[in-house]
Amino acid sequence: MIRLENIQRRYRSDEVETTALNDVNLEVAAGEFVAIMGPSGCGKSTLLNTLGAVDRPTAGRYWFDGRDLAALDEKELARFRGQTLGFVFQSFNLIDDLTIEENVALGLAYRGEARDRRARIAAAMDKVGIAHRARHFPFQLSGGQQQRAAIARAIVGEPKLILADEPTGNLDTENGQQVMSILSGLNQEGATVVMVTHSPSHADFARRRIDMLDGRIVASAARAI
Amino acid sequence: MNRFALIALYRSLTRHKLYSALNIGGLAVGIAVFLVLGLYVRFETSFETWLPHHDQIYQVTSSLHLPDGTFSGDYPGTMAGLLEELQQDFPGVTGARLRGGQNGGTVLRDGGAVAEDVAQVDPNFVTLFDLPMVQGEGRRALADPTSVLISRSIARKYFGTSDPIGQTLTVAMEAPVAYRVAGVFEDIPANSDLRFSILTPLPKTKPWPLEWMWNRWGTAPLITWLRFPTLAEARAFERKMPAYIDRRAVNDMGPHASKFFALKLAPITQMHLQPTGSESAGTKLTIIALGVVGVLTLLIAIVNYVSLATARTGLRAREVAMRKVVGADRATLIRQFLGEAMLTVALSALLGLILAELGLPLANAAGGLSLAIPYAVVVPALAALVVLIGVAAGFYPALLLSRFQPAAVLASARGPGGGRAGSRLREGLAVLQFGLAIAFIIGTMVLFAQTQHNRKTDLGFRREGLMVVSSLAETRIYPALARSLLDAFGRMPGVISVGVAGVAAGSNGNTSVESVDPSRRAGVAPTFGVTMGAIQVGHDFFRTYSPRLLAGRVFDDAHGADDSTEWWKEHRTRNIVINRLAVKALGFRSPADAVGKVIGGAMPRTIIGVVDQLRFFPPRIADAPTYYQYTRDPPPYPIATIRFSGDPRAILEEVRKTWRQIAPEVPLRADTGDHKLEEFYEADDHAARLFSIGAVLAVAIACVGLWGLASFNTARRVKEIGIRKTLGASSQDIVLLLVGQFLRPVLIANLIAWPAAYFAARQWLAGFSDRIELSPFYFLGASLIAIAIAVATVVGHAIRASRAAPAWALRHE
Repeated sequence: MIRLENIQRRYRSDEVETTALNDVNLEVAAGEFVAIMGPSGCGKSTLLNTLGAVDRPTAGRYWFDGRDLAALDEKELARFRGQTLGFVFQSFNLIDDLTIEENVALGLAYRGEARDRRARIAAAMDKVGIAHRARHFPFQLSGGQQQRAAIARAIVGEPKLILADEPTGNLDTENGQQVMSILSGLNQEGATVVMVTHSPSHADFARRRIDMLDGRIVASAARAI
Repeated sequence: MNRFALIALYRSLTRHKLYSALNIGGLAVGIAVFLVLGLYVRFETSFETWLPHHDQIYQVTSSLHLPDGTFSGDYPGTMAGLLEELQQDFPGVTGARLRGGQNGGTVLRDGGAVAEDVAQVDPNFVTLFDLPMVQGEGRRALADPTSVLISRSIARKYFGTSDPIGQTLTVAMEAPVAYRVAGVFEDIPANSDLRFSILTPLPKTKPWPLEWMWNRWGTAPLITWLRFPTLAEARAFERKMPAYIDRRAVNDMGPHASKFFALKLAPITQMHLQPTGSESAGTKLTIIALGVVGVLTLLIAIVNYVSLATARTGLRAREVAMRKVVGADRATLIRQFLGEAMLTVALSALLGLILAELGLPLANAAGGLSLAIPYAVVVPALAALVVLIGVAAGFYPALLLSRFQPAAVLASARGPGGGRAGSRLREGLAVLQFGLAIAFIIGTMVLFAQTQHNRKTDLGFRREGLMVVSSLAETRIYPALARSLLDAFGRMPGVISVGVAGVAAGSNGNTSVESVDPSRRAGVAPTFGVTMGAIQVGHDFFRTYSPRLLAGRVFDDAHGADDSTEWWKEHRTRNIVINRLAVKALGFRSPADAVGKVIGGAMPRTIIGVVDQLRFFPPRIADAPTYYQYTRDPPPYPIATIRFSGDPRAILEEVRKTWRQIAPEVPLRADTGDHKLEEFYEADDHAARLFSIGAVLAVAIACVGLWGLASFNTARRVKEIGIRKTLGASSQDIVLLLVGQFLRPVLIANLIAWPAAYFAARQWLAGFSDRIELSPFYFLGASLIAIAIAVATVVGHAIRASRAAPAWALRHE
């Protein structure tokens, strides 16, 4: 499904150049659950952003289902994200001025699909156990509920790939476990999940673990089931 | 405010330069507009307040209310002998009269004549008005029929630096009289409608042009003022007038004249704002409109300040939290932020004063004014304004900022922006701003459309190629001299015809009014006479103006009965021409139906023709049913109109040459017809220009506000934009989202703007007899302009925000 070849990502500020990703090669097959681990600043989130096509690599090739994403313009990339990917962030990134239901609906807003909208939104909220909070605003919910809402938004469009950037980073143990169970369940239903995490126990939910250091992948190991 | 607060303010202003420029600059422009328009309103409302006892002087106005309403209204003058009659019935009444005024007479010198603002007044005029004297003693002077009082400027003009007292000045109204200068009074200031620079005593013998009407009720040839110590006494006296009129006017107006005629007392200070007669209520409405523009522009600027200040509160949340942590209480913080607001407003006020001083020449040129900033008044007023605006604009942001909970703010990754309530307030303020801005745009469009309409509307005659010689009406141009002049004009090269009548293009609209009895028509029972304008015309009047002939014919010397020269022989049936409105007023079915009919009861008149309306008068004077009556000799107070081809300057030069040869002792007053008509439009043009300057600046300030708001809101929504882009939104989606968000207040603003502008415009247009339709185009057009301006204002932000890479936007806090 995903093939990264020699991906590099460098940031240049006034005085220094930072290499966030250095010669990264990675393949992810459909239906996999991959956990990316490593210390802060090792490039995990940059890799995830690159996989999510919200950041363009400085060099290297990125194929998704055999399609070279470098060939896509901004508009095509936006359509690609909307139709193919679901994002879950550490800080939830719900829009404060929209209700939970509206936030979830946002996951469909840019897909141009009007079919069964209401039913799909309701089903997504139901799946993560947040339906009873549909009319609330994000600030009225606990962190765990907000993250579940963010997951509902990510899955409402039935994406091929779910990208989760430290989805339990802002949650307590109990809520963290709940979120991981949901992600694991989604994977078992067939969704491909790539997750960045600091937690070894949460990484254990994944079938494969990738370790990063200084912008490089230093280890990749499948978990024995 | 302590030192650190001042330092923080200074650094905040200098660090956020653009925000500071928008906030201070916007408010400064608002203050400048408010100042300039405030000065204008102050000037316009200060008329005659320079008189020491202005609160005790009342102008007697004649108020006519006839059943058909055409000529109903208040007239500024009174019957000439009214004061004497009043003093017979009410011995204690003090008053004075004035006859003449602007270009009221001439000064003869070295064989030439110069038109001056000459007026004849009662001897006690000077004491009644407490006219400030420079030299001499006014009251005693005018008791002597050979004495004259002159203004400081006239003294300088005719006597230079030598002492004018005792010198001779020959002044002519009816006939030249050599007066001895007995005193010099201060020049009449600009904020006065009293137009005189030479005062001579009203002669003991009634001047001949007024002799027959001196005690004739219903005439109004001069101005009468009365003085009462209090308003209550004036009103009490006014209440006695109906009985007095019924008693005194019975001969001229019949019994119960007070039912349709009244004498009112208008405080002299109100005469400029509520002028009587042709000026109608236009002046007052214009002043109110411009005053409102000034106040609302300032309001828009204050709204900007509040809007931007509350928007920025989030940026200072941490500062507030830290101040609270180190011990500042809420009151201290409110004081600090109010102090900041006042300092910022003071800075704006200073800049506003500078802008007003720089912009005043422009406003003076646009408005035909000569305003100057009276610093002694403006500086204290501005100081009060600073406190007022400072509190008004600073209070809400101060309250909002001081309310932040330090723990929550310091723990949060994100600065508060006032929450939903804050953004609703900002949106509400934007609605208010754009509501006013759209109303101003509509107002400007309507004003310009009407002023253009005034210029282009069909007057019933061709405006170009006319030369109006109004000095033919001077009393010293006796009939034989007038005939010589008219003949000489007719012989000038380029002249097509020379018409003469009591009116001409650009006349002020004071025509004779007659109640014409339509009873000479079969089958119509007479009720009340039809009030009609009566215009006496002489030779070639209709040929010169060429009105559309609707039926019958116009006057012709071949028909003896057309000539009404001996009009006092009332038994003779006279031929008249009527206008289109008279056809309706007299109850005829059509112009053709009117021709040949006799009207007028005891004064029979045969209608020989019907012409379309000739609109000589100011645009605020309603078209009236009128009849024209012909005299072979020039009518009384004739005005000559020359129809010519070629260069107007050449014709004017010819007229000047001819006049100098035949009537050198009378100053010539001549101008082209289109110039004279242009004078009617000047006041409205000036008002329209001032209004549009105010409106453009108000819209500009509103845009500055919207721009600032867009800048702030877009910055606050960077992360949201990132989320949306991550979820698949394209740049185009983001631009549409942001622009749509800013358009919402502009669209809602129409709900305020349209009705407000509609009622204001309808009220203003009601003053014009020939007015434009209030078409929806103005409303839609103004809204489209506002939308275009709003889109242009925010689209830059929207595009920039939409281009941000989502990964960067998501990291943005």
